[in-house]
Amino acid sequence: MATAVIMPRQGQSVESCILVEWLVQVGAKVEVGTPVASIETDKAVFEVESPAAGTLIELFFEAGADIPVLTNIAAIGNPGEDVAGLRPSGAAATSAPAAAAPVPAAVPAPVAVPVPATVSTEAPVAVVGAAASGISPRARRVAAEKGVDPASLAGSGPGGRVIERDVLAAAATQPRLSAVAKAEVQRGGLTAPAQGSGPGGMVLAADLTAKSAIAPAAVSAPVASGEPVTIPLKGIRKLIAQRMRDSLSGTAQITLNMSFDATELLAYRAKVKDQAEALGLPNITVNDLIAFVVIKTLRQHPDLNAHFLGDRTVQYPYVNLGIATDTERGLMVPVLHGADKLSLSALSNAIKPLIKACQGGAINPDLLTGGTFTITNMGMLGIESFTPVLNVPEVAILGVGGLFLKPVLKHGEVKHVQAINLSLTVDHQTVDGAPAARFLKALCTGLEHVELMLAG
Amino acid sequence: MPKHLIVDPSKERKPGLLSFPDVPLNQYKVTVAQEAKKLGKANVVGMLEDMVLIREFEFMLNEIKTAGAYRGIAYNHPGPAHLSMGQEASSVGQAYYLGVEDHIFGSHRSHGEILAKGMSAIRKLDDDTLMGIMKGFMGGECLSIVEKHVKAGDVKTLARQFLVYGALAEIFARKPGFNRGLGGSMHAFFTPFGIYPNNALVGGSADIAAGAALFKKVNGKAGIVIANIGDASMGCGPVWEALNFAAMGQFSTLWPKAYKGGLPIIFNFMNNFYGMGGQTVGETMGYDVLARMGAGVNAEAMHAERIDGYNPLAVADAIKRKTALLKKGQGPVLLDTLTYRYSGHSPSDASSYRGKDEVDMWQQQDSIEWFANELKAAKVLDTAAVESIREIIAAVTTQALKLAIDDSVSPHVEPQFIESVMFSNKRKPVLDSRKPELLDVSENNPRIQQIARRSRAGVVDGKPVAKNKVYQYRDGIFEAILHRFKEDPTMVAYGEENRDWGGAFACYRGLTEALPYNRLFNSPISEAAIVGTGVGYALEGGRALVELMYCDFMGRAGDEIFNQMSKWQSMSAGVLDMPLVLRVSVGSKYGAQHSQDWSALVNHIPGLKVVFPVTPYDAKGMLNTALAGTDPVVFFESQRLYDIGEMFETEVPEGYYEVPFGAPAKRRDGSDITIITIGATLYRALEAADILQSKYGMSADVWDCRSINPLDYEPLVASVKKTGRVLLSSDACERGSVMQGIAANLAQMAFDDLDAPPVVVGSRNWITPAYELEEAFFPQPGWLIDAIHEQIVPLPGHVSATSQTAAEKMRQNRLGV
Repeated sequence: MATAVIMPRQGQSVESCILVEWLVQVGAKVEVGTPVASIETDKAVFEVESPAAGTLIELFFEAGADIPVLTNIAAIGNPGEDVAGLRPSGAAATSAPAAAAPVPAAVPAPVAVPVPATVSTEAPVAVVGAAASGISPRARRVAAEKGVDPASLAGSGPGGRVIERDVLAAAATQPRLSAVAKAEVQRGGLTAPAQGSGPGGMVLAADLTAKSAIAPAAVSAPVASGEPVTIPLKGIRKLIAQRMRDSLSGTAQITLNMSFDATELLAYRAKVKDQAEALGLPNITVNDLIAFVVIKTLRQHPDLNAHFLGDRTVQYPYVNLGIATDTERGLMVPVLHGADKLSLSALSNAIKPLIKACQGGAINPDLLTGGTFTITNMGMLGIESFTPVLNVPEVAILGVGGLFLKPVLKHGEVKHVQAINLSLTVDHQTVDGAPAARFLKALCTGLEHVELMLAG
Repeated sequence: MPKHLIVDPSKERKPGLLSFPDVPLNQYKVTVAQEAKKLGKANVVGMLEDMVLIREFEFMLNEIKTAGAYRGIAYNHPGPAHLSMGQEASSVGQAYYLGVEDHIFGSHRSHGEILAKGMSAIRKLDDDTLMGIMKGFMGGECLSIVEKHVKAGDVKTLARQFLVYGALAEIFARKPGFNRGLGGSMHAFFTPFGIYPNNALVGGSADIAAGAALFKKVNGKAGIVIANIGDASMGCGPVWEALNFAAMGQFSTLWPKAYKGGLPIIFNFMNNFYGMGGQTVGETMGYDVLARMGAGVNAEAMHAERIDGYNPLAVADAIKRKTALLKKGQGPVLLDTLTYRYSGHSPSDASSYRGKDEVDMWQQQDSIEWFANELKAAKVLDTAAVESIREIIAAVTTQALKLAIDDSVSPHVEPQFIESVMFSNKRKPVLDSRKPELLDVSENNPRIQQIARRSRAGVVDGKPVAKNKVYQYRDGIFEAILHRFKEDPTMVAYGEENRDWGGAFACYRGLTEALPYNRLFNSPISEAAIVGTGVGYALEGGRALVELMYCDFMGRAGDEIFNQMSKWQSMSAGVLDMPLVLRVSVGSKYGAQHSQDWSALVNHIPGLKVVFPVTPYDAKGMLNTALAGTDPVVFFESQRLYDIGEMFETEVPEGYYEVPFGAPAKRRDGSDITIITIGATLYRALEAADILQSKYGMSADVWDCRSINPLDYEPLVASVKKTGRVLLSSDACERGSVMQGIAANLAQMAFDDLDAPPVVVGSRNWITPAYELEEAFFPQPGWLIDAIHEQIVPLPGHVSATSQTAAEKMRQNRLGV
């Protein structure tokens, strides 16, 4: 009896993963725990380990396929064993599929029939994407009922028509839709994601996306040949694109700028650095200090530590601090949950591995959700001031610029101090300019007197 | 083929000369003065009054059609008006001696006959009977309008106004008209006065009237029947069939003594010398003298005569003499009644085919002028009295016109009313109270003995009973027919091989022993007359079961099925019932003209119920239903099935039961696909269902659409909603078949539930080939599987042997095959 290698479910929010690469090939011997494949969620890369010892009999998908979690992706057993029972529907019966997309088991082509002068009876070929070959009315109705987007299905009916069984099969692997989401899908124009953000992966209305996604700006810097390079929108990039678009189209963003005199902060940091080894302190960075003061200030300004949910605003009694992080795959925002409970050193100790995990691609996807306020720091890239984009449904995000010399009038004399610019974007739907300004002012004051904040 | 009528070669081969009886031409020689003395002054004046009435009535219609107004009253009548101005004497003379029990059937040009026969009835009926008829007709609606608006001194004057208004309102398609305006000018009739349907098909009344005469004869009803048809209808096949049917030798050679003699019918040819644009004498016909034709029908030359239709007294005399012959059982009679129409065929006909001088010559001998002058000469009337008649009549027609065109008095029917009279939907198992005449219906009857030995269950211990031991489909047909014969004294059955032979498919075996000739007989090879006489028999109130051996022969009875059988209930606005069942058998093995399922043709015609049972249980139960109802039913049978046993019900009950029309029968329960069939195809569909189950794990919901019209779609829609897929199949050629209609309806009724288009698999749009090639023509189980695979749901591993793709269908249609 062969054992299936299953596409693992990487966290509650993951519905499918991209199979990045097979690490072993058919015929290879594997042990329990041998890495078999590397996979990528929207947010991270993982390795899939073999659940059994034996020979790799068949790979059901090829690299690049987007595979629903909990789907069998390979079979391990004794050579020659029949693994048809493990092969998922919609997967090719070959270990080396030629097509990029999984091709359902094709009906064998009928032989030529001895009917003179008639149209040959061509093999019905399953075709991905129903637009060309149609959707039966029944399939359309059932798809609406189940909240399945029939356009995404491979039709198994005559000529590739999407028929009821295709929808039912898809529905069996897809999460439920909330009543609101279902109604939205039925109204048309919106499509449900593979997995929703509701309980048990239920797709909520907020998870729905427009069907006709804006064509991604796919042209990157021209390569030597001068031909444009097309990069498919997928994975994290796709998620970012969607989040950013949703953020800008779904909120009323306003950005306020204010700088603070960083003299004391830099002095404090230097002091800690000098004593770090002796006192067993971590390497407290400017970023850590700013984060710390932000958390403290947020406790006094709960209206900025909040989510705006369309018909209500939810303020949180705790701070889950998101930290925008640049990675090879793109922008990620790991979240430090319960950050308000941490001392400066504990905060500093917690942030660093979080960022590292993101950059290494091994972050637990659950640590990528749940933020209540986000900091994005572009100071190290020389940026002085910018307009951060809200990480919805959070109502505020703080951008941190780089150090610059700021002329100040002290005792009738112009002097230059080292200063840092803060750019606060808020959702004007729920936060007005004045309270945002008051928060920013309090934050700057706190940062200019950072040692006092440590006492609080 | 009665065995005691020997076809003797020595007699048949003997040389000799055939002679014919003399055919009298215009032999009436009595003067008006003499006749006036004999008949009485009032009666001859009455004839003049009626002629004037007809002339004025049609003059009014002509004025309205050509000038848009009559006596200053404007009206637009867009419908037909085929006028008979010039022919008044022939109608009035004919009606003179007739009673209400004598029934006339007419043509598109019968306004005169309606009024003449109506006035004849009014003059003869006593006031109480007359009032009873008028009050009883359609709830007294027509009468109450006349009573309210017209001051009539006496019942007969009131009745005349009733007659003229009722006929005119009918012509103008008004609700108070005699047939609610659903008949109109060419079809108006009023049965209480013995005026039966007039017919817009030339000669259409001939076989219907013969059927009415058959009814009178078989059921011992008083009166004679007259078919008023035109000279040009002598060119119509069904007219010839009717003449011969009425003159069949068996009436005198084989029928029981009490029923001996030809049918009591006069085929009265209103000979106005023109048929549409053709002149019968010298141009389109070869007879020279129409009366000659009687000599071609029987030894009595049908007692044919030419009579002068310009003299009402000559016509009345002839009718009196011929009626006496008919009452002695010496019918049928042919009359060649000379007459002439002054106007064209219709108002659109400018009479370009005849000269004005010819019309002038006839007008100079105008029957009304002549008759009035004769009456004046005989001192019966003076000029003032004639003028007075004209004025009184003009007042009658003017009054009728005012009422008939007043929308508040004479509205049109609500259109939905038409739906309510398309079928009578009555259950009348017995149509007369007489004791039914029967011969041997005891257990000594050979058929009853045979059936008693058979197993009424088709499947015993899980195995089908052998064919010669099982109660067969044909036994179900027999039992239903015998039951109705035993219950309903009016029931008759006939066809081309019903008696002695017992039917080509042995359905009627045993009926010869059970029934006298007057209830079961062989008809001539006259499909039009078989159906047409059935129509006449049924609308007179009797039940007829007629048979066309092969469905293909319906073409020979096209008008009778499409225009007569189907129409008279609704064109009478529900006055008439049509308890007529037409059995047709769908053949196979006999090639292109003996193997067609034409259910689509009759299903297309509104007014017909169409059923096609395919099990012994349904054969008996549905024929029982057909024979207990009052609607025309085309009852399809399949020659593939006459010997099958019952495979679905436990057994075929010995007792009486009915299977209602409308509901399709579920023959197998399944969930993956709905298969709907009509006819014998069911059994091949079940084979296909077996293959689906065993090879592809699909279960089929199989439905037998045994009732084609009416058809209750609800169970079919429910099934399609369940399975999402539907395949339809019948042995009819695919193009335009009933299945195409059902498929289209299901696509509308269950659109959102369909997982694939409804697919029809019919026979090829070819001639039916020889038996050896039939598998390439009729749907086979494999075709159904192929169609499912190619158009509905791909079947894993299936390889099609035939092409059932939409592209193939497109190709075939492009070529018209």
